[in-house]
Amino acid sequence: MTALLKVQGIGKRFGGLIALTDVSFEVPAGAIVGVMGANGAGKTTLFSLIAGNARPTTGDIQFAGQSIVGLRPDQVCRLGVARTFQIVKPFAAMTVRENLRTAAMFGHALHRTARAADTATEPVLEEVGLAAVADQPASTLTLSGQKRLEIARAIATGGRLVMLDEVMAGLTPTEVTQMLDTVRHLHSSRGLTLLVIEHVMRALMDLCERIVVLHHGQLIADGRPEDIGRDSQVLAVYFGGTR
Amino acid sequence: MASTASDRSFAALTAAGALVVVALPFLGNDYVVGVGLTVLMWLALTPSWCVLSRLTGYVSLGQVVFYGLGAYLVVVTWQAVPLWLAIPAAGLLAATFAALVGGPALRVRGPYFVILTFGLAELVKFSIMAYEAASGMAARILFGAPDLMVIYWLMAVLAGMSLLLLTWVSGSRFGHGLRSLRENEEAAETLGVPVERYKLLAFVLSAAIPGMVGAVMALRSTYFVVGQVFDPMVSVTVIAMALIGGGDNARGPVLGVLFLALLSELLWAQAPLLYMIILGAILVVFVLLVPDGVIGLARRLRRAETLA
Repeated sequence: MTALLKVQGIGKRFGGLIALTDVSFEVPAGAIVGVMGANGAGKTTLFSLIAGNARPTTGDIQFAGQSIVGLRPDQVCRLGVARTFQIVKPFAAMTVRENLRTAAMFGHALHRTARAADTATEPVLEEVGLAAVADQPASTLTLSGQKRLEIARAIATGGRLVMLDEVMAGLTPTEVTQMLDTVRHLHSSRGLTLLVIEHVMRALMDLCERIVVLHHGQLIADGRPEDIGRDSQVLAVYFGGTR
Repeated sequence: MASTASDRSFAALTAAGALVVVALPFLGNDYVVGVGLTVLMWLALTPSWCVLSRLTGYVSLGQVVFYGLGAYLVVVTWQAVPLWLAIPAAGLLAATFAALVGGPALRVRGPYFVILTFGLAELVKFSIMAYEAASGMAARILFGAPDLMVIYWLMAVLAGMSLLLLTWVSGSRFGHGLRSLRENEEAAETLGVPVERYKLLAFVLSAAIPGMVGAVMALRSTYFVVGQVFDPMVSVTVIAMALIGGGDNARGPVLGVLFLALLSELLWAQAPLLYMIILGAILVVFVLLVPDGVIGLARRLRRAETLA
């Protein structure tokens, strides 16, 4: 399988703080790849670098064979890379439908009229389970609803690579199960490639065919979920213990 | 849509308003035409301000700088450049100024942007004052300015342009992008909205018509004083009118302008000493009790009615 996303030796410094060092991995087209790591391991920074919200200090990022380092977030989005925010950022005063309209009008799909955008996002509202609240202001949604809105907006951009940043954090076990179903369904029905940050281990193990593990800004493991669960370095980081 | 009835009544109101604008010079005396001119001037200034400040949430307290620059250009080029050229040039000058300062200015948000735009307007005012004083020009007098009717018609055109501009932007894809970045700039940019470019374009669009308004208004008072055409009260009044009106489209500014312009005309005539006091009180009431303006109030009342 060809790689849709190639991350090659990227590093990020914020002044004296090193957030990421020499991280390399690939995401094949159509795959679901998980990103694991403790708080502060650099997971969200990794997403910000790929999406163009921040610029890597070193290294290169290629999407569909093209370097996207140095592009603005809106340009990266238009190429077909979408992300959600761990700390949700809804357009609070707009309705759910209008939130999606922005994504469909300005993202990869680039619909020119509101009507075309709304037609395109109608199925997304259904699939993500927001159809019933489509005309409510986003500010009235529950946390679970707002997480769903983050996903729905990312999908509505029409991008091929969607990066989900802890969309299950803070949800009840039942909601996590529903969310897993939603994500799996979106992946297969839309032929998406997903890069998923998650703290809920069960969710990652369940969902992903491959997992990369970050620790203090370094990539310490990259493999199938069952191998990651046996990796001595990963176990040492997560559970302590001897080397 | 739920608002078709109010859409229709607003369309009727617009038609009636346009009729009044056209009929006024034929019916009224100079005083009435003068009042009409004032209303039209605010109708040209306020919707333009809304294009930037309403739709993006970047509240400019320096709108008068465009007005002043336009006025100054006409005065400086008086009798050297014909008016048909000087007025559009004034719009171009204001837009160019916005394009130059917009890049750095639009990097700051919230109260910082408010103060920055206010400071910028004052900076330009005092720079021109100093220049005029140094070149021995305390005040200038314009001989042979066109008469009130010409000024009135020019202003009617500018008011129409300003209302159309806001209506168009508000309903466009561009306008949806502006509203998105008002809600959350980072999310909007990550969803594909070119926020830097859009903000700058909105700023430039909000400057052009006020530049021309200043150019035309300079002809009204044949006597030119820098402090007068750069008066910060113009910026404040524009904000007050937009605030009282509320909403994202042209309706709000129209209602706000009519209300405040006519009220101040009444107060000036009846109780000049109370004018600023009453104006201040109205603003306080609106900010505290009706922050989303007349439009928002009407929407809330309608919702309450359907629920009851």
